[in-house]
Amino acid sequence: MTVLALDDVSHTFGGRVALDHLTLAVRPGRVTALVGLNGAGKTTALRALAGRLRPTRGVVRLLGHDPATLPADVATRFGHVVDTPLVYPELTVTENLRCAARLHGRSRRDAEAEASAAVGRTGLDPWRHARAGTLSMGNRQRLGIACATLHRPAALILDEPTSALDPQGVVLVRELVRGLADDGAAVLVSSHHLDEVARIADEIVVLHGGHDVGRLQPGGTDLEQRFFAMVLGADTAAAGAGATGTRTGDRA
Amino acid sequence: MTPAAALRAALAVEALKLRRSVVARLATALLVVLVPLASVGMVALARSPQAGGPTAAKLADYATGDLATVHLVVCAQVLSVAALAAGGFFVASSFGRELESGTAGALSGLAVPRGTIALAKCLVALAWIAGCVVLTVAVTVAASAAVTPGGLTAGTWGGAATALVAGLLGGGLALPFAWVATVTRSQLGTVGALVGVVALTQIVVLLGGGSWFPYAAPSLWTGMGGADAASDVGPPHLLLAAAVGPLAVGAVVHAWRRLTDV
Repeated sequence: MTVLALDDVSHTFGGRVALDHLTLAVRPGRVTALVGLNGAGKTTALRALAGRLRPTRGVVRLLGHDPATLPADVATRFGHVVDTPLVYPELTVTENLRCAARLHGRSRRDAEAEASAAVGRTGLDPWRHARAGTLSMGNRQRLGIACATLHRPAALILDEPTSALDPQGVVLVRELVRGLADDGAAVLVSSHHLDEVARIADEIVVLHGGHDVGRLQPGGTDLEQRFFAMVLGADTAAAGAGATGTRTGDRA
Repeated sequence: MTPAAALRAALAVEALKLRRSVVARLATALLVVLVPLASVGMVALARSPQAGGPTAAKLADYATGDLATVHLVVCAQVLSVAALAAGGFFVASSFGRELESGTAGALSGLAVPRGTIALAKCLVALAWIAGCVVLTVAVTVAASAAVTPGGLTAGTWGGAATALVAGLLGGGLALPFAWVATVTRSQLGTVGALVGVVALTQIVVLLGGGSWFPYAAPSLWTGMGGADAASDVGPPHLLLAAAVGPLAVGAVVHAWRRLTDV
């Protein structure tokens, strides 16, 4: 069963194409990584899957449902951090976690327990009573990830989850993501860090210009080379197609 | 999760955010302290032997009549606008900042739907402004009792009821600015719209169309435009003003259900 799915999804912002007939599927127990240059369409794809954006065309499915109208019992099995996390600077770390748990459908008592467990799990104990607005960027990112995962979701979307983290935080998030996937969750992660992606992902999807331009096998020491070769190949193919189109147009 | 449980969760979260809100704390203090001070102070000024010139002319209506009753009349007049301003600033911050900062997007795909969160925000804003209005009137009554030699009269309680109704109507009229904040996705833009509506209200009143204009009716009813204008405002006009809040809540919830590109 596919947990996260984009089927022939396209989206434009004004006249700019962000996604171009993108099809993607993430199955349970798998970590899929989206990699690509800036503006490749990674975040737009994640926003469509999280219900934050209605794409211009195509079908988006999250746990079998339209993410824009997710039933409550299905939403309790979903978590995401895309762009801005569910963190309010005026609330303390514990209050933010408690609020997130309530909004994920937990009772007041369960929210208390889950917030406490999440504080320990993500290494935020020293800042338990600190306002989120006073945290470092890295700790704020940890808190955002904790808010999105404290209910152990079956479908998880993370956009650049380690961008501001120190090495300890990176390991912590890696273990968290792998742990959730090992428990059967479908995880979709976007990242610029190819080394990190190689360690965490079961499958790497390369996006370029809103297209899926191929898959990379995790592992090996030449991941960066293979990535650039694939992107260059896509550009060359697009340029060739454009030139062919022009010549065809000339003949016509 | 049942819709009632979702609303309870959203209310708990929004109530906590209200308690931590700088805008709410500041507006509460300004309403509860400044409005009673203005009510008692302006009447004292109107009745002061030193009052003269344009100030005395402007405050002439407050120079006669039962002291405590006039305190509450002034309270009602100030509160009808102050509650609108305070409520408008609060909903601008409550709704606008979620869209400006991007947390509105983070509120997608949750067990508590965005429409329920928007409803909870409106209910919390209404409860807060209602609490402020009650507290402001209570402090004004207490302040009035402290400075009125003969004590409070039946007229005082009538004035207090008018102030409560005018304040609650003003607070309800702030809710459309939650919709403005949702559409503009800007706190400052919403405050601009609030200022614009207050200016428009002045123009409508000057043109003599105030009683059917919801943003003017409560103030006119309290006597801010004089006794004649007050007598033109009846229950239908006040009911129209009261209907604005619920209609705005419906529009905001609908807009939050349909939010995209957040």
